[in-house]
Amino acid sequence: MTVLAHGVGTRTDLPIPIGLALFGAGAAILLTFAILLLFWRKPRLGGAGSGRPLPEGLRRVVDGSPLRLGLQAVVLVVAVFVVVVAFTGPDDTPHNLAPWVFFVTFWVGLVPASVLLGPVWRVVNPLRLLHRGLRAVVPRAPGAGQVPALGLWPAAGSLFAFLWLELVSPHRSDPAVVGWFLIGYAVVQLGLALWFGEEWFGAGDGFEVYSSLVARLSPWGRRDDGRLVLRSPMTGGISTPERPGLAAVVVVLLGATAFDGLSRTVFWQSGPGAADDPVSGTVGMLTMIALVAALYLLGTRLSGRLAGQPAGVQPRRYAATVIPIALGYTVAHYFSLFVLDGQTTWILASNPFGTDGTDLFGTYRNVVDLTLVGAGTIALVQVGAIVVGHVLGVTLAHERALLSTRRARASDQLPLVVVMVLFTFGGLGLLFGF
Amino acid sequence: MTLRRARFRAALVGLPLALALPLAGCAGKPADSASAASGSTSASAPPTSGSERRLEVTFAHGKAGGDTGRVQVAKGTPVALVVTSDVADEVHLHGYDIEQELSPGTPVTLRFDATVAGVFEVELHEAGTVLLRLQVS
Repeated sequence: MTVLAHGVGTRTDLPIPIGLALFGAGAAILLTFAILLLFWRKPRLGGAGSGRPLPEGLRRVVDGSPLRLGLQAVVLVVAVFVVVVAFTGPDDTPHNLAPWVFFVTFWVGLVPASVLLGPVWRVVNPLRLLHRGLRAVVPRAPGAGQVPALGLWPAAGSLFAFLWLELVSPHRSDPAVVGWFLIGYAVVQLGLALWFGEEWFGAGDGFEVYSSLVARLSPWGRRDDGRLVLRSPMTGGISTPERPGLAAVVVVLLGATAFDGLSRTVFWQSGPGAADDPVSGTVGMLTMIALVAALYLLGTRLSGRLAGQPAGVQPRRYAATVIPIALGYTVAHYFSLFVLDGQTTWILASNPFGTDGTDLFGTYRNVVDLTLVGAGTIALVQVGAIVVGHVLGVTLAHERALLSTRRARASDQLPLVVVMVLFTFGGLGLLFGF
Repeated sequence: MTLRRARFRAALVGLPLALALPLAGCAGKPADSASAASGSTSASAPPTSGSERRLEVTFAHGKAGGDTGRVQVAKGTPVALVVTSDVADEVHLHGYDIEQELSPGTPVTLRFDATVAGVFEVELHEAGTVLLRLQVS
């Protein structure tokens, strides 16, 4: 079984039509200027202390140990089961549940779950439960208190490791490779958590950090006094804490998704990536991440210079404004995978070990319906996601600029806005397939 | 919350909507035609004449030749894909999920109607080589 770009899958999307690409680009530019020039002259979004409070009882349930430990135990059982299936289930990817659960249902599904429900992985993370158990044996964390200094840099590293597995590594869709990755990831994360304390997961577990970042754009949030609130996703986005390494996490996510898009183009498949080996893949992925990083640093620093602000703080200050753009890219690239190939998970779950005659849910004989959403709908979602992500990103960046100085001029933000427009054109270009 | 602020929020919610509406109008046509697709494919369909699209690909000395790379096919076209390999292997058309054993030097024909849109890989299982990518649109 060979490998498609994103871990597993049986198909990739058609290039989007030129009409949609041009329409998307035009809409992005027009809306950007409308936001900047017409109707946004002073800060309008609430800060970390705003939001409509939810009943205190709800907070007690959500924050309570019974719910968290219970959900963590359930997810732990599922995770262990998936690892067991990875090693003892059918050898071939089309019939083994593990790669589909991990690359499609979990990794892609984490995005809608976090947008709708909030930072779910933080709540159900089974590693936290295991850590709690191990803590009884190893009571002292030698590195306690050092996590804030690390910022989100460790998460950027662990996300890079996962994305390399998903997009580049050979045999990435082999069930056993997925099983070993899950075990290795758990061991490394638990070891580091034992050293640094439970705080580690919020800084170094890539999946938890990813889920929490995406959840900044959910309608649920936590006010600075700990109260659960309902608020505009934009308010959630703008009040993302400026932790060191936030920009790195966002740039890694955006760059890796851009590489995923690139690897589906004829240009890549018949040119630099024709060998389809780890070397060309690694170089391609690093190049895309470096390109995104360079553009982002250039845009934020130039904008800061125009506004007469210190250049050093700019990349971190604006990192949260790239979250919607990264989210738009993710939806554009993985929507069809989730809806179409994601069906495989539910088919295989009916007979995880491939034994004759087993059909737990009566779905094992189903066939993936690749016509569930048409090519036109997919193209529409792709362009819509990129443009909406772009608009939210530009808006948040504008708000952030207004918050940083009382009298910010729209022209000061032009470099950053130009970079965001370039990201959008790049995203549309990759979908168009050059 | 002031009235001004409420109005602003309404504008904010309206923004993506306003954006999506013209887009929806724009892409109506391809979506409609895609929904008409049927999922039925068969590797052993009787040979069709006339409008059948014939693709030929060979695998020799570890390299693919003939109709390789990205090959475009109009949706709904009957396709005959002839694969010849100098080693024993198994050819697999993803998505349509058609598999055929290959024995050295014997051409094997995969016949199917290209009814599902998308880009699909045709690969050799043992060698792990992608022979071509079929773009159905």
